[in-house]
Amino acid sequence: MTECCCGSDVPVKLMYACSGAANTGYLADNATRRLAKLGIGKMTCLAAVGASLSGFVESAKAAGGNLVFDGCSVACGKKIFENLGIPYNHFVMTDYGVEKGKTEITPELIAKTSFALAEKIADE
Amino acid sequence: MKIQILGTGCPKCRQIEANAREALAGTSLEASVEKVTDLDEIMNMGVMMTPALAVDGVVKSAGKVLSKDEIVNILQGGK
Repeated sequence: MTECCCGSDVPVKLMYACSGAANTGYLADNATRRLAKLGIGKMTCLAAVGASLSGFVESAKAAGGNLVFDGCSVACGKKIFENLGIPYNHFVMTDYGVEKGKTEITPELIAKTSFALAEKIADE
Repeated sequence: MKIQILGTGCPKCRQIEANAREALAGTSLEASVEKVTDLDEIMNMGVMMTPALAVDGVVKSAGKVLSKDEIVNILQGGK
């Protein structure tokens, strides 16, 4: 949902998930959706930033933080933000005990990973 | 040239609209100023934070009340 900054100076954190084809992308997507439901930030489209669509890029520039959730060490999300020179915080699902192409992504794993990510974000 | 002010009508949105009109008045450019208040349309343009300003469909700024001078710079191709 678009955030009207009127009357509020609380910076909005935007969240982007890799959503790639592998199990790790699936986890990144689902964990990010869960974090959005928890109110950690607002989820928006990584692909649109990658495509340099102006509204998404300007929103990323104006955000109070950009949280990028990549599935694996290929780190497409990270590279998108680096290419655009926009500051970001980076999280990779394989840092959370998930093996690309192997680990089954269960609802329990999504919940556990989301919780771990929320803690990590709170620490940063 | 078409200038679009994206926002639901809050004071900051009205301020950037006023700044845009003032900026335009200070140039010889021919442009229309259009308000976009529909949230679906704003989101379809990828804007997550209003107010935002677009020129000819390209979003130039989001989540910030641009000053008159900043808008003049944009209109003159500075950004």
